[in-house]
Amino acid sequence: MKKNFPFFLVKISPWPIIMSLNLMNLFISIVLWINFKFLLLMIIMFMNLIMIKILWFRDIIRESTFMGYHTFYIKIMLKFSMIMFIISELFFFISFFWTFFHSSISPSIEINMIWPPKMIKVFNYMEIPLLNTFTLITSGFYITLSHLYFLNNFFYKSMKALLSTILMGLYFSMIQMFEYMNSYFCINDSIYGSIFFLSTGFHGIHVLVGTIMLIVSFIRMYKFHFSLIHHINFELSIWYWHFVDVIWLFLYLFYYMLI
Amino acid sequence: MAWLCSRTVLQTCRRQFFRNAVYSKEKPLPDPLDLATGLEKRELLAAAAGNFDPYHMKAIEIVRDSTRESPNLVPSAFKSRIVGCICEEDTAHVNWMWLHDGQPRRCECGHWFKLTEVAPLG
Repeated sequence: MKKNFPFFLVKISPWPIIMSLNLMNLFISIVLWINFKFLLLMIIMFMNLIMIKILWFRDIIRESTFMGYHTFYIKIMLKFSMIMFIISELFFFISFFWTFFHSSISPSIEINMIWPPKMIKVFNYMEIPLLNTFTLITSGFYITLSHLYFLNNFFYKSMKALLSTILMGLYFSMIQMFEYMNSYFCINDSIYGSIFFLSTGFHGIHVLVGTIMLIVSFIRMYKFHFSLIHHINFELSIWYWHFVDVIWLFLYLFYYMLI
Repeated sequence: MAWLCSRTVLQTCRRQFFRNAVYSKEKPLPDPLDLATGLEKRELLAAAAGNFDPYHMKAIEIVRDSTRESPNLVPSAFKSRIVGCICEEDTAHVNWMWLHDGQPRRCECGHWFKLTEVAPLG
């Protein structure tokens, strides 16, 4: 069939329905894990999720790089959908900040009307959190450097800067885990522990996802999938990484510093 | 011993320099036109040939005094195409109609349209 339009009509793909079924199973298994300490099903469903994601993105890479379906209009639409996605993520975090301010600006009687609540020993913001902040800001600097090198046709320099970014992202996750393991309060310790671990934990998950996106960009760059005018994967990973970076700055400012 | 030490140092320095020299040789990125395939490549080639509207999606400027014998030509790769006529310059709405292959058609405002065959890009 001949066609004369820039839009890409996808073929029938099994991944959306399989992914939705898998997500339903994953949520049920998370409830099983939280309520009944039944961990095995959640691990299986999580690995299943990762496998489906790998196969789905493999299909997208085939459609874009090896079949050439991502035309100019498709690239614009991908960029706009990423902007929409990042805005929705931003409002996701705004809801956590809303909860935090609601509970911290006028603390309720149950937590002694002080913030942080009585008997909660908070983190020293000049120690690990400051190191985390510097790590993330430096990684944001290096990802910009990598993009600059890429746009100026320096392949190895771009790869090195991207690798530095990935290593700094992994380092961030590592010291964040270290901090969680050495904290004096847990997620069950009043509203403070709940909202603290919810926000920083979700930020940590976003850092992990951003790191995975950057690793995929790194591998695809190594395999010469990117050219000067078509490197959407790399560009959108950079946007996402900067977004995660900015969220961390606000987390550091409000959750660690100004309490 | 002094000779041994200095030779070791010199050899290490030489190897370092050699390795750095190899690593600093830059590799260029793939050429965009070489990397692209399929529809993307055809689009790029059309753009390189000066055609920035390879799908004929942009609005065409119509001749004001078109007749049945000299209608406005609408490019299409198919048997039919939906045409929107902006009848006057200041009109705020578009009059849509189907235009079929072979027969010129007149909008109610008086403009004539006719389908012309063009080769599809994809």
